[in-house]
Amino acid sequence: MSFFRSLRKKNIPKTDSDAIFSLSSAYITLETKLGLKSTGRCALSFKSTSGMYFAEMKDEIQRFLDISKTDFELAYRIITDSYGYLWIILEGKSMEGILAGISAIGDTIEEKGFSSQLLAAVFEFNNGKDVQYLIYSYKRNKFYPFVRAGEKMINTEEDMKIMAAIIDEVPFEKDMTFWYPMWDMPF
Amino acid sequence: MIFSFFILGLLYLIFLSILAYVGLGAIPIAIIASIMIITQWYFSDKIVLWSSGAKVVTRDQFPKLHDIVERIVARNGLPKPRIAVMNANMPNAFATGKTPKSSVVAVTTNLMDILDTEELEGVIAHELTHIRNRDVLVLTLASLFSTIAWYVMQSGFYGGGMGYGYGRDDRNNGVGAMILIIIAALLTWIVSFLIIRAISRYREFAADRGSAQMTGKPVKLANALMKISGTMRQIPTKDLRQVEGLNAFFIIPALSGSMIGNLFSTHPPVEKRIQKLMEMEASMS
Repeated sequence: MSFFRSLRKKNIPKTDSDAIFSLSSAYITLETKLGLKSTGRCALSFKSTSGMYFAEMKDEIQRFLDISKTDFELAYRIITDSYGYLWIILEGKSMEGILAGISAIGDTIEEKGFSSQLLAAVFEFNNGKDVQYLIYSYKRNKFYPFVRAGEKMINTEEDMKIMAAIIDEVPFEKDMTFWYPMWDMPF
Repeated sequence: MIFSFFILGLLYLIFLSILAYVGLGAIPIAIIASIMIITQWYFSDKIVLWSSGAKVVTRDQFPKLHDIVERIVARNGLPKPRIAVMNANMPNAFATGKTPKSSVVAVTTNLMDILDTEELEGVIAHELTHIRNRDVLVLTLASLFSTIAWYVMQSGFYGGGMGYGYGRDDRNNGVGAMILIIIAALLTWIVSFLIIRAISRYREFAADRGSAQMTGKPVKLANALMKISGTMRQIPTKDLRQVEGLNAFFIIPALSGSMIGNLFSTHPPVEKRIQKLMEMEASMS
């Protein structure tokens, strides 16, 4: 990337939905270059808090999801994990559909003033052998890969292949020290 | 390592300066300097093997290592170099020698322990590229030029400075000229030192590229580099949800001496090399 392009990129503040929508072309690259196909499943993970406003927001999201079942052809589940994080898991037929769903929920959470609760959006892929993930960090506003090599082991080689394939297409986390895994996701 | 290079180069130049001071003419000094550098190049393999403690090994001692090297040289039409092993607890590899035929590729025992076969292939192909590109010769030539630059600089100033000194019999002027000579010579030497480092870093990228072409698997060399440099340990294994509360995301990395380090080091930063290798991987798939 040229120096000026990187400067310009920094000056335009990218919103989270802009970043997430950059996947709408990058997922094709993953498929053609690495044979990674989207499983149609993705999830939004955010910290749950007690309180009326949070409960209201949750209701609103649920209403939105009930409507979008038909509009975007999305199925959804809501799960709370052992860390106390709330997971909204979407399953859809098209990448565009799940991206629209995920970013709409993220926007709602940000509008209601709970953006600091947002942790990550996770997208599931499959290469015919095993599942691989792309994680979008709401704290760093960047994507990074997550591929398991076994129990609490990371497959760095597959991680780096993903990085090489889409590093210029999506806001990518180039600093590997931020590639925090998410071991037991309630997918 | 960098420091010892620095000191060695300095000693070398001080020696030549003393010869000049003693009153040896320009031509004898040039001859002595050339002999020193050519000797260094001619015996490069012996010097490096001796100073690193690497031992040349036969096929019986390390059959797997010989297999790997033979596989790569056969596929790429290269002469087979000698193979050496260092008994060291650090992952490392190097190549040395004046011609491709008489060259030596050396690896440490630890390197063989931590890398798998394909990763080791990547590293050895990198070293074989250094041999194919005659990098020992390139760097010897580069240091020859730096010595010549130093020498021209110095003799020019000596001639000029002394001329003034004798002509006017002015001691202060003589001292001033001396200081100027020393500063200018030092600057010449520092600049050429940095240029040699830059050439060396460029040759590293070239060797990575060569390795990628030889094996067709740049990702394996990238993975090996991560293991060797310890970057592997930098990919966290702690869960994102566990660290989220620790404010780990807002820590601004402390300014380190890495910029200066980059300027002086003979190898480019590992992240840069991995990035380039992965670009090659992307264009190959």
